[in-house]
Amino acid sequence: MLLQLNNISKWVQSGGQKIYLLKDINFWVHDGDFISIMGPSGSGKSTLLNVIGMLDDFNEGEYTFLDESVHKLKEKHRANLYKQYIGFVFQSYHLIDELTVRENLEMPLLYKKQSSSERRALVADMLDRFNIVGKKDLFPSQLSGGQQQLVGIARALIANPKLILADEPTGNLNSKQGEEIMEIFKELNNEGVTIIQVTHSEKNAAYGSRVINLLDGSIQ
Amino acid sequence: MFKNYIKIAWRNAIRQKQFTVLNILGLSIGICTCFIIGLYVHNEITYDTFHENADRIYRVNQPNIWGDWDEMVSSTGPNVATALRSDAPEFEEVTRLFSTGTQTIRANHNGDVALYNEERYFAAEENIFDVFSFNFSQGNPKTALSEPMTMVMTTKTAKRYFRNEDPIGKTVEVKSHDGTWDTYTVSGIIAEVPYKSHLQFDMIVSLKSYSEMMDAHGWKWIWTAFTTYGLVQEGTDMQAFTDKLQKIPPKWAPPTTEKIFNQTFEEFTAGHAWILDLQPLKEIYLSDSPAFNAFGPSGNPMFVNIFGAIGILVLLLSSINFMNLSTARSSKRAKEIGVRKVLGSKRKALIKQFVLESTLFVLTGTIIALLLVQSTLKIFNSIAEVELELIPYLINPVFLGIVLVFVLGLGLLSGSYPAFYLSMFEPVETLKGKISTKFRGKGIRNGLVIFQFTISIALVICTFFVQKQLSYTSSLDIGFKKDNILQIHNIEQIGFDTEVLKKKLEENPAFLNVGKSFGLPPNIWSGDRYKAKGSQNDVVQLRNVRTEEDYLEVLGVEFLAGRNFDSSRPNDKYKVILNEEAVKTLGWGSQNTYTTDSPVGKIVALASGGEDEFEVMGVVKDFNFNSVRQEIGPLVIIHHQNDKVWDYGAGLSFYSMRLNPEVIQNTGDLEALVANVQDDMAQIDSSIPFEYSFMDQEFENTFQSEKRMSIVLNIFTLMALIIACLGLFGLAAFTAEQRVKELSIRKVLGAKVSELAVLFSSEFAKLICVSILLAAPLAYVLVDEWLKGFAYRTPIDIWVFVLAAISAVVITFLTVGFQTIKAASSNPIINLRTE
Repeated sequence: MLLQLNNISKWVQSGGQKIYLLKDINFWVHDGDFISIMGPSGSGKSTLLNVIGMLDDFNEGEYTFLDESVHKLKEKHRANLYKQYIGFVFQSYHLIDELTVRENLEMPLLYKKQSSSERRALVADMLDRFNIVGKKDLFPSQLSGGQQQLVGIARALIANPKLILADEPTGNLNSKQGEEIMEIFKELNNEGVTIIQVTHSEKNAAYGSRVINLLDGSIQ
Repeated sequence: MFKNYIKIAWRNAIRQKQFTVLNILGLSIGICTCFIIGLYVHNEITYDTFHENADRIYRVNQPNIWGDWDEMVSSTGPNVATALRSDAPEFEEVTRLFSTGTQTIRANHNGDVALYNEERYFAAEENIFDVFSFNFSQGNPKTALSEPMTMVMTTKTAKRYFRNEDPIGKTVEVKSHDGTWDTYTVSGIIAEVPYKSHLQFDMIVSLKSYSEMMDAHGWKWIWTAFTTYGLVQEGTDMQAFTDKLQKIPPKWAPPTTEKIFNQTFEEFTAGHAWILDLQPLKEIYLSDSPAFNAFGPSGNPMFVNIFGAIGILVLLLSSINFMNLSTARSSKRAKEIGVRKVLGSKRKALIKQFVLESTLFVLTGTIIALLLVQSTLKIFNSIAEVELELIPYLINPVFLGIVLVFVLGLGLLSGSYPAFYLSMFEPVETLKGKISTKFRGKGIRNGLVIFQFTISIALVICTFFVQKQLSYTSSLDIGFKKDNILQIHNIEQIGFDTEVLKKKLEENPAFLNVGKSFGLPPNIWSGDRYKAKGSQNDVVQLRNVRTEEDYLEVLGVEFLAGRNFDSSRPNDKYKVILNEEAVKTLGWGSQNTYTTDSPVGKIVALASGGEDEFEVMGVVKDFNFNSVRQEIGPLVIIHHQNDKVWDYGAGLSFYSMRLNPEVIQNTGDLEALVANVQDDMAQIDSSIPFEYSFMDQEFENTFQSEKRMSIVLNIFTLMALIIACLGLFGLAAFTAEQRVKELSIRKVLGAKVSELAVLFSSEFAKLICVSILLAAPLAYVLVDEWLKGFAYRTPIDIWVFVLAAISAVVITFLTVGFQTIKAASSNPIINLRTE
């Protein structure tokens, strides 16, 4: 078991009323799963993903990640946990505009204080693997959307995470680019990386092994 | 990591060129201003530190025994030094300087006669160079002044008299009061007197040359033409030592007061303490007090304080700019911060990154500032009349250390707020783009803008009043017309018969009146003790000046009672003319009592030494015979041939001529006239140096230091204003970017460009209005305090404040106007589509 959510709820107060963003979520993920979270706009897909990624808090329930009780951890400890085990892929890529492809890939390694030779080797591996060696000195603005998302995935992978969280990774891409990205996720999953993605598209959801449907904060 | 930070900083700087330029420019101007002021202040507070024993040298000051006993002066009688030698063994050395006044010197150089008036000239005891360390290039400082009729001069002075020949052993002649020439031998050459010395001179003669005169002089304790310096032993308890010194005057001065005034010591001091005060050498220059017997320039502690404060403020303003622009820019970096956090950056690392970035900015700003300082220092030097240099500081490790601390300190200070603020962002929010719509920290930013403009506007108002006061003082009615008066000096050297010269001058159609006087406004300083005869009134201190009747005609002063001297009446010689203030001081009423109880015919008696009595024959309307910095004091005008009174004013006499404006119409005429008068003088005695001056310029000169200050103040105020405007410009640009969507929506809904412009600018106008309200009382207090130093003050008019307020608002609109128009007139569709 990689992670487990028990009775997780998250709400905001509005005019004396509780508005549930997530309600009573029970959810578990095993190593090697490829899970797609689906649902209409405002159903809480991204909130759930952020909770899993520990970027967001929840109000109630228990969250266990690799046998650690996340809800009992202090902020700092929690941050260390996700930094070590989780890689993020965003809909709008979120590459740093001022850095080249190579430098963007290198960034997580810098924060892990890896030596420069290690970093060089790992970056070179990633560039190779995603076939973007030729683009390594370009800035994000010089790449197409699909290429940017490739870099985004490469960056998420470089620190060798156990889990990749992807929030509509193909949302800003055309269908051909989207397919390519999904193929890559499929490949990664075959290699043993656990993936949770949020998506609107049935077609993309079909790449996964399990689909979770959300509506108004609850799993259907 | 470090490399990565620098890379990001550099690429951000390049990407956001406008912000970078504003930031660096503001910082550089601020740091440059601060450095120049720092150099200036450092220069002012390190005078006289070059002497080897500077820490142990003290000047002996005492009360002004000739006037206000509460006022301290640096002049003492000659025997203060001898008394100190016998009673104060704490002094390793005591030395005294004798102010001789300007001397006329000539030297024969292979048939050419070099003739100059030497103003920077005094006599000193042979041990002067045991106390002060001046750099001798020739001769022995220990023995140079040990013989009578010997002299030390500077290299530059020696060149004037002897060209390139070896001056040692050569002789120069000094003109004595009776017109004969005394021969002095050059015994030492001083390479150069450092300009940072309160003691400036071209020539020093041995005091032994005057020993005959000094031995014969009875005024041992009251002949205040001497300055006494002492070198104390190491480890002396100065407080105890100063206390002990107070026993000296009562012990040694009585023979003098008894002999000269026929008064006991107690009678002479009339209950005042004859204090001997020790003033540390290093404080002499800057404190600019006590007055008299200054042998060189003096500083102005007020300027040092004002400029020091401005330096710190300008630096503060530019740091604020930096902080403001950095935080304003932060939303642009929000995404980067979010990504970095998600990728594993700790908050500490982010703070480090931003502090490093701001330190890099400050470092760049500092380097540019140093270049700016180096390239503008010459201009500043000529304006402020100082000799500041940057290069010697750049190789000084202490200075470099200060700069380093400064860069790190300012980097930390200006980087800390943006760093803590930016690093606080929650990654989820930043990645969702929430921050940019929220525009946090607005309150603080507005506060900082208000602070900046309060300071700048207050400075502008102060600068304005300084100008106003200066023009007020120069246009003030001083009781006579001071323009168009030409004055020629050194008339005393002609001897007693000056009528030949006077005739020549009177025949010149360019002159309306010609008159001789023994002192010139605004520099009439001599005074004496007088008493109103037949009354119980106290002895009072009155200023006095000897003049011919014609001199009063030249000035054109108005008689309120009695009449002017009349050369055809020999009895007038021993009568005096008073000004209104003197009549008042003697207790004889004011102008409206003159008709009932006229001061004319009353008797005023000298109360120091002799008891001579003089009849008052006229009263003149008050006029300013000193700088208008002071109120008009009491003045006695004495007939120039009155031989019963002491020869005041060091015996100097002058001819003053009022110019005829019909003859003298331009500067060419004036130059020709001066050359003409020079010829007239030369025909009478070519050995008299020709010097002339104009009365109005002399009055102007009394405000020279204020004028310099006002120019420097103008420059610094301008700097502060530029920095504040840069900040405002940057902030307006940022706000425009922030609000572009809002403005676009308003436009789509029907707002006109003009309405948007008003909406946008009014936010800034509000800030400026608050600043004006804060700045006005602040400036009022400062100006009021400064004006207290003047006897005649320009009124603190409300219109100046209004003018400053209007200019501030205009400047604001000009500064934000560009951004306003740009933001308001941009195409709303493009702005809204980017979402």
